[in-house]
Amino acid sequence: MFLEVQQINKKYKEEEVVKDLNFNLDAHKTLSILGKSGCGKTTMLKIIGGLENSDQGKILLNGEEISNLSPEKRAVVYLYQEDLLFPHLTVFENIAFGLRIKKFTNQEVDRKVKAMIKSIELEAQWDKMPHQLSGGQRQRVSFGRAIITNPKLLLLDEPFGSLDAGTRQRMQSLFKKIAAEFRITSLFVTHDLKEAILMGDEIGYMQKGKLKVYKSKEVFIRDPETGVGNEIDFWKGLGMENGSLKNCTM
Amino acid sequence: MNIRWKPIILSAFVLLVLFPFVYLVLLSFASEWRFPTVLPEYFGLKNWRAILGSEGGLLKSFGLSLVISLSVACISTITGFAVSRTLSYHAKRNTLTLLAYFPYVLAPVVFAVCLSYFFLKLGIFGSATGVIIAQFFISFPYALIFFMSFWGQRTKSYEELVSTLGGTRWQAYIKVLLPMAKGMLLICFFQTFLISWFEYGLTSIIGVGKVQTLTIKVFLFIKEANFYYGALSCCLLIFPPVLLLYINKKYVFNKLI
Repeated sequence: MFLEVQQINKKYKEEEVVKDLNFNLDAHKTLSILGKSGCGKTTMLKIIGGLENSDQGKILLNGEEISNLSPEKRAVVYLYQEDLLFPHLTVFENIAFGLRIKKFTNQEVDRKVKAMIKSIELEAQWDKMPHQLSGGQRQRVSFGRAIITNPKLLLLDEPFGSLDAGTRQRMQSLFKKIAAEFRITSLFVTHDLKEAILMGDEIGYMQKGKLKVYKSKEVFIRDPETGVGNEIDFWKGLGMENGSLKNCTM
Repeated sequence: MNIRWKPIILSAFVLLVLFPFVYLVLLSFASEWRFPTVLPEYFGLKNWRAILGSEGGLLKSFGLSLVISLSVACISTITGFAVSRTLSYHAKRNTLTLLAYFPYVLAPVVFAVCLSYFFLKLGIFGSATGVIIAQFFISFPYALIFFMSFWGQRTKSYEELVSTLGGTRWQAYIKVLLPMAKGMLLICFFQTFLISWFEYGLTSIIGVGKVQTLTIKVFLFIKEANFYYGALSCCLLIFPPVLLLYINKKYVFNKLI
């Protein structure tokens, strides 16, 4: 297994935020994790990214234990709900940021960034400042900036949470395309049921700090705890209601 | 006839604001101006030439003030920025912030008296170094409080993002935090420079007359009833802040709004 998370626990004072976290993930796959606000999703991602310390447990990435490594040495990029573009840098320089830190030559930076700008379909915006971009464009730059560094693992914390429905849909498609193109391994956290089903190769549900990873999407849908059944019933009911309304008007 | 009052009132207002400064400049060129003479008996460059010839030590005071204020502004801004980060993320943030207000609870003179014993023991009483350190005690808390608003969850997220992208804390400072805080840094530098530039009470006690900054000199001339030199030193006193204000307005404020 590429990512192995073993027996991670985290407490804040007396509150257990993450309990007995155990899961594995194959390389180049996306595990989407569904959960309500405050269930411990963000803390879990931050522990894997090295931004928070766990009380116990270990994390292995490609066979190497990374639990005690500092975030800059893990090659794990954490993406927030906000795009967090650097306001003083252009689109080009924002994307080039990670490469410049790693001391790539100017020619390499130029070649890689231009290719990335093409992949995220922002050729016309390369020299613009972040405040001149739309929400979706900003989020694309954020993806580009993360992926160009070739991370071993990408952690996405509700990355489309602040986008409108249409942009969100386009970004979901774009992410699927980029994930396949760059063979990304990622954990995709969301509280949107549809998004969780769409984005993940595998799916998990987090509740009160405990994560349950399902064998298949069908098993996930059938589990009453996830609330998918209620959702299906709701839409079915609404469809019947609409049908009866339709019959009445006819 | 309909009189348009607005431009008249505005012009009068501008004149009222500008008059003291224009009068100050005129006074710096005059001498032998006694009541009831309407115009001064002498009007020329005598006073200004005297400065260049170092009579009264004004030029020396100007230079000393510049060195002290630039040192205080630089040290306070840099340390204030760095320490405010630690303070902002500290568990006892509120208590520590309250302590930062302490130097402002006391009057500068009382504060200086409290400090003087320690400065005497350290052998920096009556020296420029002593004045710089004493003024730092006042301007540093200001910088600290000023930068507290910069640090927060969003800035922390930027720092974390840089680290997951492979950057060290130093790179986060140089490539992200300092450029993002550029406007605030310049404003803080300007404000702490002004705090130091116009400081009188603390400087007069810690400097014990040996460290004669321009502000101290102005008060000395006024005490001696030498209005012409007083006006002249006021002109020198106003010049650096006006220059800084211009730079601030042109390069910082216009970009912030």
